[in-house]
Amino acid sequence: MDTFKFVRATSLVQAAETFSKGSDARYLAGGQTLLPVMKQGLAAPSDLISLARVAELSGITFDTDRINIGAMTRHADVAAHPQIRTLLPALSVLAGGIADPHVRNRGTIGGSLANNDPAADYPAAVLGLGATVVTDERTITGDDFFQGLFTTALEPGELITRVEFPVPLRAGYVKFPHPASRYALVGVMVSQGANTVRVAVTGAGACVFRVPQMESALAKSFTPAALDGVAISASDLNSDRHGSAEYRAHLIGVLAKRAVALASNGHRS
Amino acid sequence: MNALAKFGKSQVRVEDQRFLKGQGRYIDDVNLPNQAFGAFVRSPHAHARIIAIDTRAAQAMPDVQLIVTGAEWAAQKFGPLPCRSPSKVNRDGTPYKDPARHCLAHDVARYVGEPVALVVAETADAAKRAAEAVMVDYEPLASVTDRARAMDAGSVQLWAEAPQNLCLDFEQGKRGDVEAAFATAAHVFRLDVENNRLTAVPMEPRGAIADFDPATGAYTLWNSSQNIHANRDLMATMLRIAKDKLHHVAPDIGGGFGGKNSVYSEPVVLLYAAQKLARPVKWVADRTEAFLTDTHGRDQNSHVALAVDAAGKFLALHVHSIGNVGAACGTMGPFTPTGGTARTQGGPYAIPALLYTAQAVFTNTVQTDPYRGAGRPEAVFHIERIVEFAARKLGIDPVELRRRNLIQPDQMPYTSAIGLPIDCGNFPAVMERVLAMADRQGFAARATASAAKGLKRGFAVTPYLECSGGAPTEEAQLSFKADGIVLLAVGTHSTGMGHETALAQVVSDRLGIDLNRIRFRQGDTAATKIGGGHGGSRGIELGACAALKAADMVIDKARGIAAHLLNSRADDITFEAGVLKDTKTGQTVTLDAVIQAAGDQSRLPSGTGVGALDSTAVFEREMFTVPNGAHACEVEVDPDTGVVKVDGFWAVDDFGSVINPMLADGQVMGGIVQGLGQALLEEVVYDSESGQALSTSLLDYALPRADHVPRMQIEFYEGAPTKRNPLGAKGAGEAGCCGASPVIVNAVLDALKDYGVLHIDMPLTPEKVWRAIGVGGGPKS
Repeated sequence: MDTFKFVRATSLVQAAETFSKGSDARYLAGGQTLLPVMKQGLAAPSDLISLARVAELSGITFDTDRINIGAMTRHADVAAHPQIRTLLPALSVLAGGIADPHVRNRGTIGGSLANNDPAADYPAAVLGLGATVVTDERTITGDDFFQGLFTTALEPGELITRVEFPVPLRAGYVKFPHPASRYALVGVMVSQGANTVRVAVTGAGACVFRVPQMESALAKSFTPAALDGVAISASDLNSDRHGSAEYRAHLIGVLAKRAVALASNGHRS
Repeated sequence: MNALAKFGKSQVRVEDQRFLKGQGRYIDDVNLPNQAFGAFVRSPHAHARIIAIDTRAAQAMPDVQLIVTGAEWAAQKFGPLPCRSPSKVNRDGTPYKDPARHCLAHDVARYVGEPVALVVAETADAAKRAAEAVMVDYEPLASVTDRARAMDAGSVQLWAEAPQNLCLDFEQGKRGDVEAAFATAAHVFRLDVENNRLTAVPMEPRGAIADFDPATGAYTLWNSSQNIHANRDLMATMLRIAKDKLHHVAPDIGGGFGGKNSVYSEPVVLLYAAQKLARPVKWVADRTEAFLTDTHGRDQNSHVALAVDAAGKFLALHVHSIGNVGAACGTMGPFTPTGGTARTQGGPYAIPALLYTAQAVFTNTVQTDPYRGAGRPEAVFHIERIVEFAARKLGIDPVELRRRNLIQPDQMPYTSAIGLPIDCGNFPAVMERVLAMADRQGFAARATASAAKGLKRGFAVTPYLECSGGAPTEEAQLSFKADGIVLLAVGTHSTGMGHETALAQVVSDRLGIDLNRIRFRQGDTAATKIGGGHGGSRGIELGACAALKAADMVIDKARGIAAHLLNSRADDITFEAGVLKDTKTGQTVTLDAVIQAAGDQSRLPSGTGVGALDSTAVFEREMFTVPNGAHACEVEVDPDTGVVKVDGFWAVDDFGSVINPMLADGQVMGGIVQGLGQALLEEVVYDSESGQALSTSLLDYALPRADHVPRMQIEFYEGAPTKRNPLGAKGAGEAGCCGASPVIVNAVLDALKDYGVLHIDMPLTPEKVWRAIGVGGGPKS
């Protein structure tokens, strides 16, 4: 690992200032992706700005029909939060199924979203639940946030501060874990809100995506059977030796049905 | 805490006291004053000519002490990495091909990860950076990683002396008998089966520290190796140094599974560097290095043919394998896919004619070498898959077909048609017991319950037979210290199996000495003259028998001292439960009192001295043993996704007499999980075009995890102790993975029988299972 300057920011303003001064500065959230990449020599930031002590980025709060999760909230804290478990069990389950306990106790929701790994779980939550990403400069809808492989709407230096999840009528998340890494080979989040149905898929493509034909079928009838015969094309899907595009396309159908079933029974598997 | 440890009683592992507290001493825990660190420059190409190596930039970097290139290595004219394959003659009588592989590649690199240079620096980080700055000018060559393609007439050829990359063309068995049986058999069944390429992934990666003393010319090598004595000899020969000038020692070893058996390049080059710098040089592999350069296992494809008569009796078996030995011979070279797989062909069945043929071929991949079982699990897989296949084709219950063909107890001793001498065992009793444990009668109800969840349930039972192996001779020493401590030193090697407990247990039981007083030493050429190390399930069979023999020598000597103390004759002294007794007078003296007397010259008979009880035993087995057993399992398959869940596993193993059932349980469990990994998850993959290694991290290579592991019920059949050693013990270390892979695969195929699926190659990944169901055309019912 190369040498770098380490700064512990205590406010958003300080973090942004430090970032702007560094020649190649990077924010450090949970470090579950950045640190391994640095160890491999694939990233060598000049400045590493820890966000762990930035108060504005922490905490989980509840508004009417909305859950606000601070960017530095760890996966384990989301998974264990009793109110989230009651209001949005699909999100608890998703957070509790990320990687392993070590990662869940360090990794953060903001870090995961900013990284936008194509096989990460949280992008499916944000897109599939219609969440909004709030940054130090603006708010970005989930539909606008994810732009491609490891690419988001974030500008250089822009920091996610929190994520706002509307509480749906029901939602379900099912992940088919990669046999080695346990990232999502395919993960499907389905949700039914007052006016909308959303289906978001992670792991299968270059970036999380919605499945309009499933959404319209479920809008008519939010049941697994409604998805019978809804075809998923394998073109543009990921293909590797752990899952061909064809297999992933098939799994999207299977998992979406299971997610609908789970949503309908309050996520009691 | 411990009283006397008894033979046959479970005993908590004494070594766990330090392992569980983080007090184990592995290679990375060993640090010597003034040590430098090595990093290896490795070929990024599967096959490339090395045009030139420019070390100037690296040499100029801070803290760099030494760079050794392949050219320098070649100039030293050190010996090549040795091959000790017991199978080395082609079926036409000509010798096999063992091309010279040197520790550092000089002219041509033949697999991704092959070392081409060593950089030594003051810190590990500096060494790694400098290694990255070594500029190697490669001319990439076409490569071949697939064993079958390597034998094509037009294939890339790795070595000029090995046309079509053939290392060994092997044949064992009775060709004439087999061909005659096939010509007239009522049925002949044929199946191609794959034994997927695996890597051991020990928790502790390989590593070594080499030291050199200029004053004496003596070397010391701390090495994460399972084979301390034999590899000391081989390395000393390579470097042209006297054996007694190389002290080879392994501290605690964090797992081996065969992957630490071989002589590897790195420690040899470190010895050279240590001598050159006159300071210690340390290197520990990182996980990627381990994936690239640890020897791999299995990697053979076999055509299995079984001839069966009209009554369902097996007549003949012919298996032909193509085995991938890698870019050159490893320390055991082509043995595993040839002689190693031949030994136990036919398994526990009475088959009058057996033939095993195999071709071992070179490819642009790292060497394959023994991996838990080294051919025996492959042989079990061959016979158990073809038997299951034959039963399906014949419409006979697979359990019934096995019953008809098992070797019966009244046929013992039985020499198999390929020459395996089986001394004892009760194969039908073992299989019937596991069937009872697995409640086969209740399967139908469980299958109905699975079906209600949309799942397909399958059942299989697999008897297995293997044989122990490894070096046939072993040494154990017992020495008695003034503070009451008894030191047990052995040449066998525990890499985590619990010998420190099991072997001490034998001594404790025999001598009546508290386990707490016994200290254990292993893996050190300074501790014992002879050492067969680890491999072939030999730890108990050889090590414990040597320890027992040493204890008996102690008793014999103690009788002499007791006679002197009691003023009687040694012939009249008996020993029982720690007490020596004069049968004539009834007088007694404890062994402890004798041990104390042995430390006091004034109390010893003339002609003996202090240390009179200390004993060194060399035990040589007359013949290896034949462990056997039967495994059963149930699986649930999700037909929508192809996911397999192993839902129950039952094992009955015949290891003869069991010293410590808890440790034997652990061996079986670990082996079953390893077999499950091969059956469902693990596969080393090289890109067929570029030859690049694709499974180089735990993100790519799928190991079993806790949630893959089924509930297991394990029993031991102790009704057939072997007479081939005084303990009656048969090797236990490799049995688990012998039974697990075939029984899991067979259970999955049973679950899929409604779909008409007759075979899927390991690993049975979800996508493969899903595709097989699709290919089979959907449920027939």
